[in-house]
Amino acid sequence: MNEAAPLPEAAVVAERLTKRYGSLTAVEDLSFSVAPGEIVGFLGPNGAGKSTTMRILSGTMSGTSGRAAIWGVSVALDPAGAKRHLAYMPENNPLPEDLRVEEYLTLRARLKDVAPDRVSERVRRVMEDCDLTRRASGRLIGQLSKGFRQRVGIADALLAEPRVVILDEPTIGLDPHQILGIRELIRSLRGKMAVLISSHILHEVEQVCDKVVIINRGRLVAQGRTEDLRRELLPEAAFTVVTRADEAALLAACRAADPAAAVVAAASADGWNTFRVTLPVGSPARETLAGSLIGAGLALREIAEEKFGLEDIFLAATRRAPGEGRRS
Amino acid sequence: MRHFRTLLAHELRSAALSWNTWAAAGLFLALMGGIHFFALVDAARAPAPRSPVEATLWFFWLPLLCVLPLLTMRTFAEERRSGTLAALLTTPASPAAVVWAKFLAAWIVWVLFWLAFAAFPFLAAQRLDGANARALGEGSALWGGLCFIAVSGLLHVAIGILCSCVTRSAALAALLAFISLLALTAAGGALETLPIESWEWLGWLREPAAHLRTFGHLQDFTDGVLDARPLVLYGTGTLLCLGLAVLTVEGQE
Repeated sequence: MNEAAPLPEAAVVAERLTKRYGSLTAVEDLSFSVAPGEIVGFLGPNGAGKSTTMRILSGTMSGTSGRAAIWGVSVALDPAGAKRHLAYMPENNPLPEDLRVEEYLTLRARLKDVAPDRVSERVRRVMEDCDLTRRASGRLIGQLSKGFRQRVGIADALLAEPRVVILDEPTIGLDPHQILGIRELIRSLRGKMAVLISSHILHEVEQVCDKVVIINRGRLVAQGRTEDLRRELLPEAAFTVVTRADEAALLAACRAADPAAAVVAAASADGWNTFRVTLPVGSPARETLAGSLIGAGLALREIAEEKFGLEDIFLAATRRAPGEGRRS
Repeated sequence: MRHFRTLLAHELRSAALSWNTWAAAGLFLALMGGIHFFALVDAARAPAPRSPVEATLWFFWLPLLCVLPLLTMRTFAEERRSGTLAALLTTPASPAAVVWAKFLAAWIVWVLFWLAFAAFPFLAAQRLDGANARALGEGSALWGGLCFIAVSGLLHVAIGILCSCVTRSAALAALLAFISLLALTAAGGALETLPIESWEWLGWLREPAAHLRTFGHLQDFTDGVLDARPLVLYGTGTLLCLGLAVLTVEGQE
């Protein structure tokens, strides 16, 4: 890895980025940053502007206004300088069909200014890291499966040991084993490179990323650590309760524990009723609810707190109006 | 410069391994071999003002229109269609280095085709005795003609590269190159044959017409006349086309 430059505060900076195609605004006033060594998930529904933003950051597309910087170097003013710190794997990972994997990586290493005496060593290393050595090194790229092509794309991204890696949907089309391998590979980059990764597999992002940036219709709707976003976007605790009691009895018992509690009937079978009980965030009743219900004499078969995942955060964030309640 | 050398080596290697290049080479040698054969047959029947080599070179426009677009059509159009051009531009290699590498590789292949053609007159001369071999024409005409091909080829290949830059379809790129090269080659000839001198209102065309006479340039080169004007025309035309190609590649989103 290059060691000469001092460590900047942010490895990736997007500052009020805007991209317009005529009357259509693909990205509007988008600001976020990625710290050195941090892994950040970049989320949004289809057509939200993720790929456009990533292309602007990688210098393959110019923004209409705003500032994009990679490792402190402006992408617009010094594209070659910014590209020296950056590796970008586009969404469909275009690769030349008529080159062998090793030939392709050697060519890319030379184009990425890897020192001539280190090219072979780096190519060998990334092929080992991406598990390409045994089954793919001598094969034409056009003959490789989707999974191996993705690995070639990631190997290419890691070749020159860049400061910043931008991966647009790196696990798309992969089987669960391959996803696990790519996840481990990305996880191994933590602390070494700043990684901005877009993915539709939210569980994947939650497993790997330190932070998420969520955009909708080209605008930022949320950013921060998953735990912080959970508190901000889903400010209530929810429980599934299965009991013989009716809604009124359950509500009375819950209100005794916390006057702000709410109950919604969900299902009923064999004399057992299922309800969803919600409590305000920070309510002390969250820890005592089970005891309160039993203490009230209700016949209780099951009580379980609902776990909000990134999927719930994503849905909550993309439901709200763009620009409303951003975090920095 | 390092990127340019790397890209040029890659382009030459790709050209050498591409079926497209070998198909174009086959078509080129078949065309030029056939033309040269008939030029030899004609020369054997009756004395002609031009030697068989000169008569063959006079048909340079045929491979120019039919073969050169095949060489240049895929350079950018195919890479734009597959997305590999965008991936290439994520490296520190500049668009100018990419354009110049593709241009030079295509030009080298084009010149190699014509050098391969030079084998035909040599083979014909070896099979004939001394007097008949001399009747085939001077070697200087052949080398002068090849120099014309190499110099004019700079502009012709640059036009093909520019046409390939503006579209994602290789077929459309070939068509655009065909039309552009036809217009360039025919324009000089058409302006030469028009009675411009007698039309006062077309007087301003006299000077450009004198510069664009492609077949006149070929004649000058085969006669051994060294004129700086065609060199300037082909040189500046090449730079203009490649400059536009660089801007086109830079502006692609």
